[in-house]
This record gives sequence, C-alpha cells and structure tokens, in this order.
Amino acid sequence: MSWELHRVTIVGGGMMGRSLATKVAQEGIHVYLKEVSAEAVESAQMALERSLDHSIERFALTGSEKKAILSRITWVTHFDCATDSDLALEAVQEDFGLKRQILRELDRRMPPEHPIVLTTSTLSITELAAQNNSPERIVGMHFLYPVTTTRVVEVVRGQLTSEQVYERAIDFARLLGKIPIKVFEMPGFVTTRLLLPLINEAMHVVMEGVAEAAEVDLAMKMGFEFRIGPLEWADRTGLDRVLNWMQHLHQESGEPRFRPCPLLKRLVRAGLHGTKSGRGFFEYDENGRRTDRLPDDKPGLG
Amino acid sequence: MKILVLNSGSSSVKFQIIETDLERMNAHQDLTLAVGLVEKIGLSDSRLLLEVPDRKAYQDYREILEHRTAIEWVLRILVDPEHGILDSVEEIGAVGHRVVHGGEAFASSVLITPEVVDNIEACSVLAPLHNPPNLRGYHAAHAAMPDIPHIAVFDTAFHQTMPAHAFLYGIPFQLYKKHHLRKYGFHGTSHRFVTFRGCQILDWKREDKRLISVHLGNGCSLAAVDHAKSIDTSMGFTPLEGLIMGTRSGDMDPAIVPWLLAMEELTLHQVNTMLNKHSGLYGVSGVSSDMREIIEARSGGHARADVAFRMFCYRLKKYIAGYAAAMGGVDAVFFTGGIGQRSPEVREASLEGLEFMGIELHRDRNAAASGDEAEISTDASHVRVLVVPTNEEKTIARDVIRVLNGIMPEFTPPETIT
Repeated sequence: MSWELHRVTIVGGGMMGRSLATKVAQEGIHVYLKEVSAEAVESAQMALERSLDHSIERFALTGSEKKAILSRITWVTHFDCATDSDLALEAVQEDFGLKRQILRELDRRMPPEHPIVLTTSTLSITELAAQNNSPERIVGMHFLYPVTTTRVVEVVRGQLTSEQVYERAIDFARLLGKIPIKVFEMPGFVTTRLLLPLINEAMHVVMEGVAEAAEVDLAMKMGFEFRIGPLEWADRTGLDRVLNWMQHLHQESGEPRFRPCPLLKRLVRAGLHGTKSGRGFFEYDENGRRTDRLPDDKPGLG
Repeated sequence: MKILVLNSGSSSVKFQIIETDLERMNAHQDLTLAVGLVEKIGLSDSRLLLEVPDRKAYQDYREILEHRTAIEWVLRILVDPEHGILDSVEEIGAVGHRVVHGGEAFASSVLITPEVVDNIEACSVLAPLHNPPNLRGYHAAHAAMPDIPHIAVFDTAFHQTMPAHAFLYGIPFQLYKKHHLRKYGFHGTSHRFVTFRGCQILDWKREDKRLISVHLGNGCSLAAVDHAKSIDTSMGFTPLEGLIMGTRSGDMDPAIVPWLLAMEELTLHQVNTMLNKHSGLYGVSGVSSDMREIIEARSGGHARADVAFRMFCYRLKKYIAGYAAAMGGVDAVFFTGGIGQRSPEVREASLEGLEFMGIELHRDRNAAASGDEAEISTDASHVRVLVVPTNEEKTIARDVIRVLNGIMPEFTPPETIT
C-alpha cells in the first residue's frame, strides 16, 4: 500500500461495520469501532463474537486468530478516536441527516488529508461532502449484500473528491479483500442500476403471467449462473428497500424505464416485504430459509 | 567471520549472529553470539528481543512499520554499547537469508544477485505467503549493508536431487509443465544438517550411507537421503502433504476436497484453512496441536488423543519403512525437531515392529534422550538410531562460508523430462 494505514475508525457496529472491522483487524490494522452507547457496544460485541465463532465452526478462522482480531478492535462511544485515525468509515443506516452529522464530527477531528469513507447506495456524497471543511477527502463506497462474501465494492468518486483520496480508497478496498469498481457518483452506480431493472422486469414477467416466480429464478440461475435468482434476491434484500431504490432511481433520472412494477408496490403495501416478513415472492421460516420446495433443489451427489 | 542470519516473515524478523569459518565448521565449533527477533512488524507495539549467552535477555517496544526499520533497529541494538555484542556493523562479514521456496531454479545456496532476486520473485507464485517477506527482508538488509555479500539458502534446495519418479504427481503431465506442479519438499536445510551432523557423530561418510532424517516439529517431514542426496521427502507441492502434523492433515484422499466443497458448501479458503489449521493432532483429538498435551491426555484415558497419537506414529512408521524400501535398506534413522528430540513415546511407537528391518530401539537410552545428541538404538541394532538436534541457522551460516569459499556442493541438475 502506498500510504501507511495503522488505525481505522469505523462508525456503526451493525452487520456491515462489524464485518468490515473484522477484515481490517485481520489485516493487522487497529480498529476503533464506534457505537452510540455502552448497551449498543455490548450487543454489537456479542454479535461479533458469535460471527467469529461461526467462522471457526466453518474452519475459516482458528481460536487464536479470533483472539488476535478481538485484540485489535477497540470499542468506543465517542468520536475522539478519529483524531489519530488514518481513515474513517461510516457504516450506519441510509439516513442523510445522520450521515451528515457523523461526517461533521469526523471532519472536525481528523487531519484534512485523511480519507473519510461514506457507505451509501443512494445518497449523494457530493451533497454530504459539500457542507464540510475538507470536502475533497470524502469518498463513497457501495458494498453489496452480503458484505462478508461479495467480492466487489463500488468506490464512488464525488464531484470534489481529490485524486489522492480516491487512490487511497481504492487501496483500502483492496485491503478489505474486495475488487474495487471505479465509479463516478450517479444514482445506482453500476451494480444497482443494472440489477434493479432486471429485477423489475422479472416482476413484470410474473405479473403478466408469463411464468411463475420459481421458474423465473430457475431460468436465470441455470441459464446465466446467477447464484440466486432475481426474485429471491429481491426478497432477501427486502421488497420495501427494492421499491425505495426503484423510486429513487426513477425520480433522480426521470426515466420511465426505472418505473417500479405495480406488483412490487402491491406486495409492499400488503406488508409482504420478503425474507424478513416471511413472505414475498417466496416463503421463508424464521431463520430465513426458503420453505417452499425449490424446483432445483440440490440434486446431491448420490 | 561473523555472519548475520535472517529469517524474515510477513510480520517478524528472526536473526542470529553466528561466528564461523571452515575450521570451526569442521570442528563443529560454530559460535552463536546472539539470537533475537523483531515481531509484530506493522504495528505500534512491535517488540525486539535479544538474547546473548550469559546475559539477561533484552527487550524493547516501539512502532516498527516495515522490514527496513526493523532491520535498522536490529543493527542498532547489535552495536549498542550496553546491550549489543558488536563494536560496529562493519564486523558483520556477510548475511545469510532463509528463503522458503527456490522452485526448480535453485538446487543449492547462492550469492544473491539481481538475477537471483528475479528468480526468487518468480518462485513467489509457489509460496505466496513466504517468498515475498523473505525478499522484503533481503532488500531491507541489503539497503543497510550494501557492501557485504548476501547469500540465499532455500528450504527446497536440498530436495532438488529427487528423481522424476519421486517428484511427479500422477496427474496430467501438462499441469507439471504449465504450473510447475510437483513435489518440492521442505525442511531441506534441516534434513541436510541432521544427516551431515549424524554422520559426523558416527564417523561415517554420508556419501556411503542410506539415511532417513525425521523432522518432527510444528511441521513434520522426513527425507530419504541416499548417498548424501535427498531422493524422496514427505512434504510435497506445499507443506501439507505427508505426515500428520500439529494442525495439518498430511496425506489423504484428494477426492475429499471437491466432496467437501459440494456437501458442506465450504469455500476454497475454508477448505484450505480446515486442512492446514484445523486438522492433524488438533483436529482429530480436539485437545491440542501440541504433542506433549496429546500424550498427557491419552495417558489420562482420552480416547481421541490416543487415536491421534497412534495415527501420527503409524503413518510415520509406514514412511520410514517405505523410505528404507526406496533406498534398498537403511543404515541410520535420525530424529530431530521439537517432537523428534523430546518425545521418547513418539520415537518408540513409530519404530515399534520394525525389528524385521534391523531397527532395535534401546528402551532406556530412548527414554533418557531428551533434546541433546544421543544414540538410542541397541548395540546389536543393524540400523543406528540417533537424536540429532537440528540447527537451521547454523546451516545457513555455514552455507555463507561455503558459497564464499566456492565449496558449495556440486549443483546436480535433477532429471528433466519434457
């Protein structure tokens, strides 16, 4: 890496924050993981331990590696840790006001050339950056679901992002073990912009009665090597979120091709939000496993 | 001559200062003047440890971000008036570097030139975790001491004498040509030292004898050394092959890997760490990767520790007998490494029943041998069995002398099949 990275602040101990903190700590770098309160720290800490234990059960980690990872993560409830951080990353929910506030706290404390990474799929990092003292050190990253296993991250260049900060963000993405996709800020970037219309079209196919949902997914999985079909992907992401994104893309671009499928709206209105509510295009148990039999259930080996 | 021996890992640098020359080598009187390490390179609390015989160990902590500053720190401490052992850095006559993988390019130790650096870099694809930090250590040491010779000593070099029927795998030949997929073997520096020293103790010429060197440490391997040449060894393309080790599986049916990938839906990374870090003594026993704890647990009646122990010794026994067959007989077996030197239980169980091929262990001698050089076979045993402590750093220092004096054993190109 061209510049030295020794301490990283990660704001938000949710699923994404924990997963990124684990990876950074695994690379031998110290992490400050910031949560809002002592209680939030405690529950995030427990969740992190659980996921590390799960990795051990799956042979991905050893007990001593778990100890090393935990020893490199310092849990904090205050932003002062940012003063000696070489990079900060926020991983809180998609809320403009909240992100803007966090950005202000970080911007005030960190030396001006140290990058601040915003994770967002829909918000404008240029708009968020514009209100800061050093808008050129602000850069975006869009991680795909699930954060732990997906190889790709979109690294987002805002209007004011400096070349140096952008290069450092690319380095950081590689350190996280991801393949960086370089994108300029524009609604949907590459991945969302291409995937959403595909999902939307799949919903149209179902709505028009061309094929059943399971058949649509099976066709795409078997025909194009999709790991999961587009409709199950929508269920797992949350149909409400998919609808939000579609509406956002539609509004920002004004393009009719991003108009959300009426079936999607109907399901969301009916409270069928996908995996988390037990039903969307398919049905799920409380552990998120599909309960309807898949037509392509694993053939097995014998 | 005072030689700095460096073993550079990804986040640590181990070093020794060894005083040796041709006379000392022949008299087995090389002097280890200092032993030390810098660990946690890249972190703010890197630690330097320096141990000098008859002195209290010295340690210090500071932020060391890369190998270059680590080696500068080492040199500074070595000449420190209070804690050091040298008057000036100029006293160091040469540097010996441990390099893990020399591929098919290196069959002996060499003076490092820009061309050699390129070749070591090319071998990195075979040892992506080891060769790059080895090279970083070299670059750092060369920057600090540009005017003295630097010599590379490879873990794989000693085994380059293996014939093709021993080093090829029974897979399509084009994979060997395309990816250099073959058995390389490791611990070469140790097997070379142990067979050399073992013969010295017995007053034998290594060139006349058929020897088996058994290195049982964190990693475990053995080598068949026939008339001073390694003709087979148990580790393979990677250190995973062969004996059961602390956390590595050793030999198994390769079909298990694709089967697990499908049935357990494991990723490549997970299968890899499963075989390297969750298997072996630890994985079978569920107790420990440490042989001492396995032995303790099994004497307390722990069934899985007991079976892990038996698996370990059973496989080793098959390899010993197999290598004797490969050489048409065996004159001596040498045990080394932490387990090999200190575990009479393992030595006894792995040689038990080999009386048919002339191996007779002396129970009391075996039980008494706990680390130092010792003969542990009976006087009547056709095959001599010895404990020979390994010393890889000393071998590296000696190789520096051999290379500088132009007496590195003749390079014998291995058989080439096209």
